[in-house]
Amino acid sequence: MTDVKKLVEVINLKKYFPIAGGLFQRTKRAVKAVDGISFDIYEGETLGMVGESGCGKSTAGRAILQLHKPTSGQVLYKGRDLTQLSSAELRAQRPDMQMIFQDPYATLNPRHSVRKIVGEPLVINGKMKKGSLELKDRVAELLELVGMNPAYMKRFPHEFSGGQRQRIGIARVLSLNPKFIVCDEPISALDVSIQAQVVNLMQDLQEQFGMAYLFIAHDLSMVKHISHRIVVMYLGKIMEMTDRNTLFDDPLHPYTQSLNSAVPIPNPEIEITRTRFILEGDPPSPANPPSGCVFHTRCPLVTEECITVEPQFREITPGHFVACHLANTTGGSKIFIPDSKKEPS
Amino acid sequence: MSIILQVKDLVTKFYTLDGVVNAVNGVSFELNEGETLAIVGESGSGKSVTMMSLLGLIPMPPGKIESGSASFNSEEGLCDLLQLSPEEMRDIRGGQIGFVFQDPISTLNPILTIGEQISETLIRHKGLSKEQAREQTIKLLSQVGIPDPELRYKAYPFQFSGGMRQRVVIAIAIACTPKIIIADEPTTALDVTVQAQIIELFKELRDALGVAVIWITHDLGVVAGIAERVLVMYGGRPVEIAQVMDIYKDPKHPYTLGLLRALPSLEAKESKRLKSIKGTPPDLLIPFKHCPFASRCDYAFDRCWEEIPPLISVGEQHQAACFFDLEEGGPRHD
Ligand SMILES: Nc1ncnc2c1ncn2[C@@H]1O[C@H](COP(=O)(O)OP(=O)(O)O)[C@@H](O)[C@H]1O
Ligand SMILES: Nc1ncnc2c1ncn2[C@@H]1O[C@H](COP(=O)(O)OP(=O)(O)O)[C@@H](O)[C@H]1O
Ligand SMILES: [Mg+2]
Ligand SMILES: [Mg+2]
Repeated sequence: MTDVKKLVEVINLKKYFPIAGGLFQRTKRAVKAVDGISFDIYEGETLGMVGESGCGKSTAGRAILQLHKPTSGQVLYKGRDLTQLSSAELRAQRPDMQMIFQDPYATLNPRHSVRKIVGEPLVINGKMKKGSLELKDRVAELLELVGMNPAYMKRFPHEFSGGQRQRIGIARVLSLNPKFIVCDEPISALDVSIQAQVVNLMQDLQEQFGMAYLFIAHDLSMVKHISHRIVVMYLGKIMEMTDRNTLFDDPLHPYTQSLNSAVPIPNPEIEITRTRFILEGDPPSPANPPSGCVFHTRCPLVTEECITVEPQFREITPGHFVACHLANTTGGSKIFIPDSKKEPS
Repeated sequence: MSIILQVKDLVTKFYTLDGVVNAVNGVSFELNEGETLAIVGESGSGKSVTMMSLLGLIPMPPGKIESGSASFNSEEGLCDLLQLSPEEMRDIRGGQIGFVFQDPISTLNPILTIGEQISETLIRHKGLSKEQAREQTIKLLSQVGIPDPELRYKAYPFQFSGGMRQRVVIAIAIACTPKIIIADEPTTALDVTVQAQIIELFKELRDALGVAVIWITHDLGVVAGIAERVLVMYGGRPVEIAQVMDIYKDPKHPYTLGLLRALPSLEAKESKRLKSIKGTPPDLLIPFKHCPFASRCDYAFDRCWEEIPPLISVGEQHQAACFFDLEEGGPRHD
C-alpha cells in the first residue's frame, strides 16, 4: 500500500454510560465502555478489532458512526469531525458509513419482503422512487452482487438461513455505495462452512468497490485472515495495534500474547506439543477499572509502576503501537519464549 | 481397552406442527473407558439431540426416540439407557454419567447456594451425610479451581462469572466419580481466555479421574486439543469417525475435508482465499433418500443421488459414509 489516504481518524474517543445511582449519591459513576482510543483507518483497508466480550468493541463501533454520542474525543471522516456535525449534516453523511450486525435477523423487518428491505435505504435517502423499475433493477443487481438469486426478491426474511440473511443485510448496506462499513461480529452466529462464504463475499466486495472495514470479532484466526491491521482492546482501551502478521509473530503486549496463546489451533500436532500461557480469572468490570495499567491485575509481568502509572500508547517500531511499560525492542514484555524461537528439532 | 458405552442405530424425531423433524437418523458409536470422543458438526446436525436422547432429556412429546439402543457398562452391569425408567435414569444421570451443558444457568438452581447444590448431588447419589457432603463439596470446589472454597460455598450462582459457573457445573459433574462425562459445547459461550482455562481444567480432571468424555463442539480447533477420536455429524448422521490425527491429516469424507478447508490458518503469512462449502445445511423436515451432503458436494456422482451411503471401514479405526474415494479420485469399489 503506497500513498494510502486516511479515511477515518479516531482521536482519544471516549464513551461512558452513566450508572443509575442512589438518590443521595454525590459522585456520578460510569461504565467506561470506551476510554480514550485513537487509531486511523485507511481507504480500502480492513482494520480488525479483537478483545474479550464487554471490552467495548461494539460501543467503539457505534460511537465512531455516531450511533452513540461520544462522551469526548473526535472522529474525523475525510478530515471532517463527525462529533461536531448537526443532525442534518450527519444525515447527509450517513450513506457513506454503514454498519453490519451479528444477528441479521434482528435488523431485518420480518414483515418486509427482501425487495423492500434491500431497496428501502435508496428510497429513504431520496435516491430512487418507490415502486420504480429503476429501483427493482438495482435491488436485483444488489442481490446478484451478494450471490443471491434475484427471484428471492419476493420472499421474507424467515424463509432464509442465517448466512442468506447476512447476505441480504449486506445487500441493503451496499445499496448506498458506502465507503466505510463497521462490521460488528458479522460471522459469529454463522456455521464454519457459511462463515467462509460470507468472509469471501466481503473480501470480493472490498476488492471491487474499495470500501474500508472496521471488522469486529472475537475469533482471532478469522480476524487475522481478513484484516490488514489489528487493534487489541481490553477494558475500553487499546493495548496493541500493528499489522496482522506482526500481531501473531511478534506480539509485544502481554495481553495480546495470552490471547494468541489461548486460540485453539485446528491441528492436533500443534495443539499437543504447544506451550501455552493461560490467563487467570476474568476481566475486571469496566465500571471499576484497575488503577495504572488496566491489565495489571492479570498480567504475569506486573511491576510496581504498572499498578500506579497508566502506560502510554506508544510506537515501539514503525506502525507497531503498544500500551505497556515493559515493551521494548529487546523482548522486555515477552511472557515466554515463542515456539518459533525454540531449538529447531 | 473395554467399551463403556455402545450406541446403535439411534433414531430420534420431533413431531411438530411444521412436520416431522428427522433430527437423529441412525447414530452408532462406541466409547472406550477413559477416552475422549469429540462429536463435531454444524448447528442442527443432531449433536445435542443425540446426547439428550442418551440422558433421557428429550421432551416427549414432541420428541420420540424411534429406535436404537445405548448399552452402558454401569456399576450394576450392562443396561440399555434408552430402556430405563425415569427413576432409574435420574439415578444414573448426575451419578455415573455426569454432564456439562453450554449454558451453566440451565443446570444451576438460582435460589440455592452452589455449596448446597453440590452437596445435594452427593447426598442423593452417594448417600453421604450432610457434614460429609459439605467437606467433600469444599474439596471439589478447590479441585475445579474456585478460590476461597469455604467462602464460595455460600455464594449463589449469580455471584459468579460465566467461567466460574462452568467450573461449578464441572464440580457437580465429577462429584460422584462418574464413568462418563457428557459435555455439550461447554466452552462455546465463553471468551477464548476463559475457554482455555476450562479446557485445561477438563484435561487435568480427565487424566486424574480416568473418566471417559464425550465432548460436543462445532469448533475444530478445540477438538484438535482435547479429543482422541472424532465423530463428524451431518444431517443427523455420522459421516466420519476416526482417530483425531487421521481426521485432520487424512479426512475421507468430503464434508470433513470441506470443514477443514473453510478454516483460516493462523500460521499463514499470506491470507489465501477460504474454500467455502457451497449451499446450506439440509432441511431435516424432508427424509433423505440419498446422501444428505450430495447437493453441496464437489465429488457427488449418480450413486450419491440414488442411495444413502452407509458408514463403512476406510482404514484402521477409520469409517466414512461416502461412495467416493478421495484418494483414488473416483467412485469407491466395494
Ligand atoms: N447502552 C448501554 N448502557 C450501559 N452500559 C452499556 C451499554 N452498552 C454497553 N454497555 C457496557 O459497556 C461495556 C462494553 O460493552 P460492548 O461495547 O458491548 O462490549 P463488546 O462489544 O466488546 O462485547 C460493557 O460493560 C457493557 O455492559
Ligand atoms: N424440542 C424440539 N422440537 C423440535 N425440533 C427440535 C427440538 N429439539 C431439537 N430439534 C431439532 O433437531 C435438530 C437437531 O438439533 P440439535 O441436536 O440441537 O443440533 P446441534 O447439532 O446443533 O446440537 C434441529 O433441526 C433442531 O431444530
Ligand atoms: Mg459486541
Ligand atoms: Mg447443540
